[in-house]
Amino acid sequence: MEISDRYFNRVVFAAMTVGFALLLIAAVVAVVAAQEKQRTTMLVIHTYEVERALDKFSILSEQLETARRGYILNHRQVSLDTYHRTIDAIPLQLDHIGRLTHDNPVQQKRLIALRVEAKLHVDSARQTFDRLANPNPAIQAMADFAVDSSFVSMLELRNQIAVIDGDEKRLLDQRMGAQDEASLMLNIVSGIALALILVIMGGTFWIVLRYTANLNQTQDALRTLNAGLEEGVALRTAELSRANEEIQRFAYIVSHDLRSPLVNVMGFTAELEMAVAPLTVLIDRVDAEAPALMTTEARDAKADMPEAIQFIRTSTAKMDRLINSILRLSREGRRTLAPTPIDLGVMLAAIRDTFAHRLGEIGAEIDVDGLFPPLVSDRLATEQILSNLIENAVKYLQPGRPGRIAVAARSEGRRIIVDVVDNGRGIAQADQERIFELFRRSGIQDQPGEGLGLAHVRALAYRLGGVISCISSPGEGATFRLSLPTVLVDLREGPAG
Amino acid sequence: MSDHTVNIVMIEDDEGHARLIEKNIRRAGIANAIRHFIDGTTALDYLFNDPNGPACNGPALILLDLNLPDMSGIDILAKIKAHPRMKRTPVVVLTTTDDKIEIQRCYDFGANVYITKPVNYESFAKAIQQLGLFLSVIQVPEVGEE
Repeated sequence: MEISDRYFNRVVFAAMTVGFALLLIAAVVAVVAAQEKQRTTMLVIHTYEVERALDKFSILSEQLETARRGYILNHRQVSLDTYHRTIDAIPLQLDHIGRLTHDNPVQQKRLIALRVEAKLHVDSARQTFDRLANPNPAIQAMADFAVDSSFVSMLELRNQIAVIDGDEKRLLDQRMGAQDEASLMLNIVSGIALALILVIMGGTFWIVLRYTANLNQTQDALRTLNAGLEEGVALRTAELSRANEEIQRFAYIVSHDLRSPLVNVMGFTAELEMAVAPLTVLIDRVDAEAPALMTTEARDAKADMPEAIQFIRTSTAKMDRLINSILRLSREGRRTLAPTPIDLGVMLAAIRDTFAHRLGEIGAEIDVDGLFPPLVSDRLATEQILSNLIENAVKYLQPGRPGRIAVAARSEGRRIIVDVVDNGRGIAQADQERIFELFRRSGIQDQPGEGLGLAHVRALAYRLGGVISCISSPGEGATFRLSLPTVLVDLREGPAG
Repeated sequence: MSDHTVNIVMIEDDEGHARLIEKNIRRAGIANAIRHFIDGTTALDYLFNDPNGPACNGPALILLDLNLPDMSGIDILAKIKAHPRMKRTPVVVLTTTDDKIEIQRCYDFGANVYITKPVNYESFAKAIQQLGLFLSVIQVPEVGEE
């Protein structure tokens, strides 16, 4: 499932990459096509401009001709005005056309011919007007004659204009065709780009939808898992607390009830011892005064009885010690907890101070100078746990190596994790859970102790809603990890009876 | 039974303990009669209702164990100390508990002496035997009152 998902993701990613690359190409092509279209459009516009200029020139020439003929007929001022206007405008218009077609050598050549023809035409018109303005009627009459030649020049002018115009028309057709092609190209490219955009958008949308759905699903699952986990932790803590409570009660009852028979055993052993004294005297007397009555069994009994009694005494004494230990443990467990804000740094520094003398003796150091998150818990129980752990660390250092003990804490959700790390002799893997049991100890038994400390620590940790565990490499050191709720909530309403 | 002899009432469920206590009392030279009860109900009946019991007749010394099968010795102690005729009767609490809170509770309820039954028999025997001394001291005012 996971593998196929991963494969699928890879394929989708590749497809998307290709899609985006195509889109990029399409965009570049579209830009190029648009530029091409703009270029051809500009050319078309230019051609139109040339045509318009030619038209205007043509109109000016016709107007000049019309004005001349009109003036010959009636000498009207309107014709004269037209003459003056057009005679100046014609060379200017020719210059304009020259500028527009400067990039076309064929048209330029034609334009030179046009200029010659236009000059003839203009000169002929000027002659006519000059003559008409002359008071001499003979000269005036010659003006009519000029019209005849002007007719020819006018035709020639029209022809030349038509040739230039035809060329421009041809150019226009070409350019229009190019423009159409560019437009088509642009349209095609745009269409492809649009299709690509749609496909990629659809793909992206689909992928985003799919991922979002997946993400939501995962989040939901995670949330459920988290809630379950928290609930599980709470449930487990409550269970532990209850189990612990039960054990405490059990320990109390057991230690109490075990003591009663022990009192009897010890008492009657003492009575027996007292009774042995006169019997011993009696046996001795019999042995001395009437050896015939003496038996080997009686003699053996005399020797065995004190030994037996001694064994009973040492055993009961040990049993009494153990029972007292359990009783002490259970009494601790029955104490009412009082959650108060605790500054772990201050508490640990105080604990370190209590070991100052011992630390000086063995040349060990305890580092408790870090930052500690705030904790609300039972002060006495917390102090006992930490004190016990540090005491153990100091007690079981590796000989010949300067002892380094460090205590650090961090927040993890609603819990505080306190690590007591030492570089001492360590605890064998098999013992790492066992050491938390009553009367169990690890390694060489070269230190005084009953095997109670860590059992006590675990019982206290459970009572505080916490857990304690041990990680160690023998010969290198040990880490005791205490996890406590940041805020202690006493699950019980009052002290257990 | 003589009105002026102090009866010893022993409320103790463990026969062995009772026997050891009795032995040590006798060893101390105390010859007073000892009435032994192994449960709270019978003991209370004797204390308050028996014509020869301390409520109706004569002074007594009560040796009380706290762990009884049918009730707590503390309840018996409270009843004795609440009774107008019995409240001056000395009660010696004998128990295996050395819990400070428990001991204080017993004294709060009016226990006169509290003896822990130690496994160390010698000290236990000594404590019991000193009851004789205690007995001779309390005897006088009780008799005077009668």
